[in-house]
Amino acid sequence: MYEKNPLSPHLQIYRWHLSMILSIAHRIIGVVNSIAIVLICLWTISLLFGEENYEIIKILFQSLFGKILVISLSWSFSFHILSEIRHLIWDLGYGFDLKISKITGIITIVGSLALTVLIYLLGKNLI
Amino acid sequence: MHHSTKKWLVVKFSSIILIPLMFWFVVNLVSIYDESYIEIVNFFSTTSSKALYSLFLIAAFSFFSLTISEVFEDYIKNEKTKNVATKMLYVFAIIIPLITISSILSLN
Repeated sequence: MYEKNPLSPHLQIYRWHLSMILSIAHRIIGVVNSIAIVLICLWTISLLFGEENYEIIKILFQSLFGKILVISLSWSFSFHILSEIRHLIWDLGYGFDLKISKITGIITIVGSLALTVLIYLLGKNLI
Repeated sequence: MHHSTKKWLVVKFSSIILIPLMFWFVVNLVSIYDESYIEIVNFFSTTSSKALYSLFLIAAFSFFSLTISEVFEDYIKNEKTKNVATKMLYVFAIIIPLITISSILSLN
Protein backbone atom coordinates (compact mmCIF):
# COMPACT_ATOMS: atom_id res chain seq x y z
CA MET A 1 0.00 0.00 0.00
CA TYR A 2 2.73 2.46 1.15
CA GLU A 3 4.91 1.59 -1.84
CA LYS A 4 2.03 2.51 -4.17
CA ASN A 5 1.63 6.02 -2.74
CA PRO A 6 2.22 8.65 -5.43
CA LEU A 7 5.25 10.91 -4.98
CA SER A 8 4.51 14.63 -4.65
CA PRO A 9 4.17 17.21 -6.14
CA HIS A 10 2.63 15.50 -9.22
CA LEU A 11 4.24 17.85 -11.75
CA GLN A 12 2.73 16.06 -14.73
CA ILE A 13 -0.86 16.13 -13.44
CA TYR A 14 -1.76 19.71 -12.42
CA ARG A 15 -1.98 22.79 -14.63
CA TRP A 16 0.98 25.09 -13.93
CA HIS A 17 0.28 28.30 -11.93
CA LEU A 18 2.39 30.91 -10.13
CA SER A 19 2.28 29.37 -6.63
CA MET A 20 3.24 25.98 -8.05
CA ILE A 21 6.16 27.46 -10.02
CA LEU A 22 7.33 29.34 -6.91
CA SER A 23 7.02 26.23 -4.75
CA ILE A 24 9.18 24.22 -7.16
CA ALA A 25 11.59 27.16 -7.56
CA HIS A 26 11.84 27.39 -3.75
CA ARG A 27 12.91 23.76 -3.57
CA ILE A 28 15.35 23.92 -6.50
CA ILE A 29 16.91 27.18 -5.28
CA GLY A 30 17.09 25.73 -1.76
CA VAL A 31 19.16 22.82 -3.10
CA VAL A 32 21.31 25.22 -5.19
CA ASN A 33 21.88 27.43 -2.13
CA SER A 34 22.87 24.46 0.01
CA ILE A 35 25.46 23.46 -2.61
CA ALA A 36 26.60 27.11 -2.72
CA ILE A 37 27.03 27.15 1.07
CA VAL A 38 29.19 24.00 0.88
CA LEU A 39 31.34 25.77 -1.76
CA ILE A 40 31.50 28.87 0.49
CA CYS A 41 32.75 26.58 3.29
CA LEU A 42 35.46 25.23 0.97
CA TRP A 43 36.38 28.84 0.06
CA THR A 44 36.71 29.68 3.77
CA ILE A 45 38.77 26.55 4.48
CA SER A 46 41.05 27.45 1.53
CA LEU A 47 42.19 30.52 3.50
CA LEU A 48 44.14 28.16 5.77
CA PHE A 49 46.44 27.22 2.87
CA GLY A 50 48.01 30.66 2.72
CA GLU A 51 48.21 33.67 0.40
CA GLU A 52 50.13 31.96 -2.44
CA ASN A 53 47.64 29.12 -2.77
CA TYR A 54 44.74 31.60 -2.64
CA GLU A 55 45.88 33.32 -5.87
CA ILE A 56 43.86 30.99 -8.16
CA ILE A 57 40.64 31.69 -6.22
CA LYS A 58 41.40 35.43 -6.23
CA ILE A 59 41.84 35.42 -10.03
CA LEU A 60 38.56 33.51 -10.40
CA PHE A 61 36.66 35.95 -8.16
CA GLN A 62 38.14 39.00 -9.90
CA SER A 63 37.06 37.74 -13.33
CA LEU A 64 33.70 38.40 -15.03
CA PHE A 65 32.69 34.84 -14.13
CA GLY A 66 33.35 35.59 -10.46
CA LYS A 67 31.17 38.70 -10.58
CA ILE A 68 28.32 36.83 -12.32
CA LEU A 69 28.69 34.00 -9.78
CA VAL A 70 28.39 36.34 -6.78
CA ILE A 71 25.48 38.33 -8.31
CA SER A 72 23.67 35.05 -9.10
CA LEU A 73 24.29 33.90 -5.54
CA SER A 74 22.93 37.22 -4.23
CA TRP A 75 19.76 36.66 -6.26
CA SER A 76 19.32 33.03 -5.18
CA PHE A 77 19.82 34.01 -1.50
CA SER A 78 17.41 36.98 -1.96
CA PHE A 79 14.78 34.76 -3.55
CA HIS A 80 15.14 32.22 -0.76
CA ILE A 81 14.89 34.89 1.97
CA LEU A 82 11.66 36.35 0.51
CA SER A 83 10.15 32.98 -0.34
CA GLU A 84 10.90 31.75 3.20
CA ILE A 85 9.22 34.87 4.68
CA ARG A 86 6.19 34.03 2.48
CA HIS A 87 6.17 30.49 3.89
CA LEU A 88 6.47 31.82 7.47
CA ILE A 89 3.45 34.12 6.86
CA TRP A 90 1.51 31.07 5.63
CA ASP A 91 2.58 29.19 8.78
CA LEU A 92 1.00 31.99 10.84
CA GLY A 93 -2.24 31.34 8.98
CA TYR A 94 -2.25 34.36 6.64
CA GLY A 95 -2.09 34.79 2.85
CA PHE A 96 -3.91 31.65 1.71
CA ASP A 97 -6.47 33.56 -0.36
CA LEU A 98 -5.74 32.89 -4.06
CA LYS A 99 -5.49 36.58 -4.94
CA ILE A 100 -3.21 37.34 -1.95
CA SER A 101 -1.11 34.26 -2.74
CA LYS A 102 -0.63 35.52 -6.31
CA ILE A 103 0.32 39.02 -5.08
CA THR A 104 2.86 37.66 -2.55
CA GLY A 105 4.24 35.44 -5.32
CA ILE A 106 4.81 38.43 -7.58
CA ILE A 107 6.33 40.36 -4.63
CA THR A 108 8.74 37.43 -4.10
CA ILE A 109 9.91 37.49 -7.73
CA VAL A 110 10.16 41.27 -8.18
CA GLY A 111 11.39 41.75 -4.59
CA SER A 112 14.20 39.21 -5.08
CA LEU A 113 15.54 41.28 -7.98
CA ALA A 114 15.24 44.52 -5.98
CA LEU A 115 16.90 42.87 -2.95
CA THR A 116 19.78 41.67 -5.16
CA VAL A 117 20.40 45.27 -6.29
CA LEU A 118 20.17 46.49 -2.66
CA ILE A 119 22.62 43.78 -1.47
CA TYR A 120 25.07 44.68 -4.24
CA LEU A 121 24.87 48.41 -3.49
CA LEU A 122 25.25 47.81 0.26
CA GLY A 123 28.13 45.37 -0.28
CA LYS A 124 29.98 47.77 -2.53
CA ASN A 125 29.31 50.72 -0.17
CA LEU A 126 27.44 52.57 -2.91
CA ILE A 127 24.59 53.58 -0.57
CA MET B 1 5.84 15.70 20.85
CA HIS B 2 5.65 13.84 17.54
CA HIS B 3 8.93 13.46 15.61
CA SER B 4 7.50 15.30 12.56
CA THR B 5 6.27 18.23 14.70
CA LYS B 6 9.72 18.51 16.28
CA LYS B 7 11.34 18.46 12.82
CA TRP B 8 8.93 21.13 11.54
CA LEU B 9 9.64 23.37 14.54
CA VAL B 10 13.42 23.06 14.04
CA VAL B 11 13.01 23.93 10.33
CA LYS B 12 10.91 27.01 11.17
CA PHE B 13 13.16 28.12 14.05
CA SER B 14 16.32 27.75 11.94
CA SER B 15 14.70 29.63 9.04
CA ILE B 16 13.81 32.58 11.33
CA ILE B 17 17.45 32.72 12.51
CA LEU B 18 18.79 32.13 8.99
CA ILE B 19 16.96 35.03 7.25
CA PRO B 20 18.89 37.94 8.89
CA LEU B 21 22.16 35.94 8.96
CA MET B 22 21.84 35.12 5.25
CA PHE B 23 21.32 38.83 4.51
CA TRP B 24 24.33 39.78 6.67
CA PHE B 25 26.52 37.15 5.00
CA VAL B 26 25.62 37.91 1.39
CA VAL B 27 26.15 41.69 1.87
CA ASN B 28 29.60 40.96 3.32
CA LEU B 29 30.35 38.39 0.63
CA VAL B 30 29.69 41.03 -2.06
CA SER B 31 31.93 43.38 -0.09
CA ILE B 32 34.96 41.06 0.23
CA TYR B 33 34.86 38.34 -2.46
CA ASP B 34 37.19 40.15 -4.91
CA GLU B 35 39.46 41.62 -2.23
CA SER B 36 43.01 40.50 -1.41
CA TYR B 37 43.79 37.46 0.75
CA ILE B 38 44.78 39.73 3.66
CA GLU B 39 41.49 41.69 3.50
CA ILE B 40 39.43 38.47 3.53
CA VAL B 41 41.44 36.99 6.42
CA ASN B 42 41.06 40.30 8.31
CA PHE B 43 37.29 40.12 7.83
CA PHE B 44 37.02 36.55 9.13
CA SER B 45 39.45 37.27 11.99
CA THR B 46 37.17 39.68 13.88
CA THR B 47 35.22 38.24 16.79
CA SER B 48 31.87 39.45 15.42
CA SER B 49 32.49 37.86 11.99
CA LYS B 50 33.59 34.58 13.61
CA ALA B 51 30.47 34.49 15.79
CA LEU B 52 27.98 35.52 13.07
CA TYR B 53 29.53 33.28 10.39
CA SER B 54 29.51 30.29 12.78
CA LEU B 55 25.85 30.95 13.64
CA PHE B 56 25.05 31.35 9.93
CA LEU B 57 26.63 27.96 9.14
CA ILE B 58 24.88 26.18 12.03
CA ALA B 59 21.48 27.65 11.04
CA ALA B 60 22.06 27.05 7.31
CA PHE B 61 23.14 23.43 7.66
CA SER B 62 20.32 22.65 10.15
CA PHE B 63 17.77 24.21 7.80
CA PHE B 64 19.06 22.77 4.54
CA SER B 65 19.69 19.25 5.87
CA LEU B 66 16.11 19.02 7.18
CA THR B 67 14.53 20.54 4.07
CA ILE B 68 16.60 18.40 1.69
CA SER B 69 15.58 15.33 3.72
CA GLU B 70 11.98 16.37 2.88
CA VAL B 71 12.94 16.37 -0.81
CA PHE B 72 14.34 12.82 -0.34
CA GLU B 73 11.07 11.90 1.40
CA ASP B 74 9.09 13.11 -1.62
CA TYR B 75 11.20 11.75 -4.45
CA ILE B 76 13.06 8.63 -3.26
CA LYS B 77 10.68 5.69 -3.27
CA ASN B 78 13.03 2.96 -2.04
CA GLU B 79 13.06 3.03 1.79
CA LYS B 80 16.63 1.69 2.13
CA THR B 81 18.07 4.24 -0.34
CA LYS B 82 16.10 7.02 1.34
CA ASN B 83 17.40 6.12 4.82
CA VAL B 84 21.02 5.88 3.65
CA ALA B 85 20.76 9.19 1.74
CA THR B 86 19.19 10.96 4.75
CA LYS B 87 21.81 9.62 7.18
CA MET B 88 24.63 10.63 4.85
CA LEU B 89 23.08 14.08 4.52
CA TYR B 90 22.94 14.51 8.32
CA VAL B 91 26.57 13.36 8.78
CA PHE B 92 27.64 15.74 6.00
CA ALA B 93 25.65 18.58 7.61
CA ILE B 94 27.58 18.09 10.87
CA ILE B 95 31.09 17.54 9.47
CA ILE B 96 31.28 20.40 6.91
CA PRO B 97 30.28 23.26 9.27
CA LEU B 98 32.39 21.76 12.07
CA ILE B 99 35.55 21.80 9.89
CA THR B 100 34.72 25.27 8.55
CA ILE B 101 34.06 26.79 11.99
CA SER B 102 37.28 25.23 13.34
CA SER B 103 39.26 26.72 10.45
CA ILE B 104 37.67 30.16 10.93
CA LEU B 105 38.42 30.07 14.66
CA SER B 106 42.08 29.31 13.92
CA LEU B 107 42.44 32.40 11.67
CA ASN B 108 44.22 35.36 13.27
